[in-house]
Amino acid sequence: MVNSGKKASVATVIGNKALKKRFGRLTIQFTGEAAGRFLQVMPGQFVQISLSEAALPNPERISSDLADSAQRQILLRRPFSFCDVTVDRPNCVQVEVLYCVLGPATLRITTLSKGDKISIIGPLGNGFSIPPGKKYALLVAGGMGAPPLRHLATFIRANKPKMRLFAFAGAKSLDDLPFTVEGPKSESPVIPEFSGAGTRLHIATDDGSAGFCGLVTQYMEKWLDESKIPPEDIIVFSCGPEPMLAEVARLSEKYGIDCQVSMERMMACGIGLCQSCAVECKGGTKGETVYKLCCKDGPVFNGREVVFESR
Amino acid sequence: MKADRVDLSVDFTGIRLKNPVVTASGTCGYADELSEYMNVDKLGGLITKSITLKPRKGNPVPRIVETDAGMLNAIGLANIGLERFIKEKLPIIKELKVPLFVNVAGEKISDYVAVAERLATEEAISGIELNISCPNVKEGGITFGTEPKQVEKITKQVKKASGDKPLIVKLTPTVTDIAVTAQAAVGAGADALSLVNTFTAMVIDIESRRPYLANRTGGLSGPAIKPIAVYLVNKVYNEVAKSAGVPILGGGGIRTASDAIEFIIAGATVVAVGTATFIEPDAAVQIIEGMKKYCVRKNVSRVGDLVGNLKD
Repeated sequence: MVNSGKKASVATVIGNKALKKRFGRLTIQFTGEAAGRFLQVMPGQFVQISLSEAALPNPERISSDLADSAQRQILLRRPFSFCDVTVDRPNCVQVEVLYCVLGPATLRITTLSKGDKISIIGPLGNGFSIPPGKKYALLVAGGMGAPPLRHLATFIRANKPKMRLFAFAGAKSLDDLPFTVEGPKSESPVIPEFSGAGTRLHIATDDGSAGFCGLVTQYMEKWLDESKIPPEDIIVFSCGPEPMLAEVARLSEKYGIDCQVSMERMMACGIGLCQSCAVECKGGTKGETVYKLCCKDGPVFNGREVVFESR
Repeated sequence: MKADRVDLSVDFTGIRLKNPVVTASGTCGYADELSEYMNVDKLGGLITKSITLKPRKGNPVPRIVETDAGMLNAIGLANIGLERFIKEKLPIIKELKVPLFVNVAGEKISDYVAVAERLATEEAISGIELNISCPNVKEGGITFGTEPKQVEKITKQVKKASGDKPLIVKLTPTVTDIAVTAQAAVGAGADALSLVNTFTAMVIDIESRRPYLANRTGGLSGPAIKPIAVYLVNKVYNEVAKSAGVPILGGGGIRTASDAIEFIIAGATVVAVGTATFIEPDAAVQIIEGMKKYCVRKNVSRVGDLVGNLKD
């Protein structure tokens, strides 16, 4: 049996910057054979990062609600998607990961610094795909679902320059979006990460602290109601919490628009061995469902095939 | 002792394995998935994910949760079923240069028998591992593995159905005395014993006050269980396997060559690497290399000489 050599590779940390609140941006670099694997990367794919050898922050830098998490040992790798992938020069690729410090693994990311080596498997899974014939892309993000859609916006700009982009991101409050903000915050905040990619990011906040007051899916519905674009010309790309994805898929179906959703699951291996990351999908006979794997069959699925979790 | 003079090969149920390291059931798919990440031909052998007579969807999610030095899984024997296994996976398995053992599970004894009978006719399959220790399904699995009389009954019938294929019986550690179930399996004709399967365990989400896993409980694996597994292997070796001349396939939390050697000294002829493969897909290959270095350092010419070689 032939070994195709997709083993773990070593990446070098070239930057790690704390952003507002609990967000941070990790920039890592791949060289040689490992870099080659990123040349064909699609937004929505992910990597499995080993963090068990990274140190914890000093106790005084750990917020009290994460004190228990800081006591936990970690064993498994953690999956992350990308905010950006840039080909520096042949055989040298830089990958940006946005993270939010929530538990024992992300606490350990914060201590990585320039020059550190980390073990990474990937890129893995199937990312977003841009179907031929679509003229408009509607990007709908929730919270930490925004970074891979930022990658997608950049990708579409570079590879499908004629495609028009409309990007929406929702969060509880403007501060809960992992991006820096410029301009008047309350009415029309400007997100340089997106405007730099040639796209205006439309914000929806639950508390009305910026942009549309309400859920991003309500904003999406309002936009669809007012849109004069033929639905068959639009493709929806979405990433965020599962209830939000369920609503995005429902609205897309209602308006007759094709839709791709990026799912998230707890996973041990990320390469199809452990069978942990099941996503229930339609597709059996007589209305039966099947489990597909988030890591290998996804994480991006057709919005119409997923049976979303109600829990 | 030079590295190239170390003999890592072992005899296991009449089959020569080129080294004593196999990948455990449920952690290496049907060999095809893992082969993208490592040269599986370097392994001593592989044990497939459980096969049942009919396909199984498996349990709802969450199916796993990480714990300190371990993880719980409750996959629920998700698999493609016997028919698709024969059709889709067997052609791939035929290309393997290492022995492949198929793990068999079921809800009824007749299911196990039907699967074993069918697999017994396939030349590409080296042996059968009888899963009577899965903690994550309502029917079958562990219910056959905790009662000595049930262990005896199912072992006897599946042994008969397996023809000339060796039968490895995989035991659960979730019993009062594992030597009793081990003895029941050996008495009924088991050619080898495999231990341990995972330990039934639970994690609670204190925010929602619900069990974390959709199945409520799961099987604990990983480094957390290793010292218990080493003890149980040694107990079964001393009380059952050694005198019966039945080899042990030992495992539970093996991550390094040192871990693997502990199991061999405790009495395992072959060791199974499981959870470690999820973290480092080629963990088993690294373990084989490390094992060779140990033999050089300790002047051991045959790794088989270490089996059960525990000093007082």
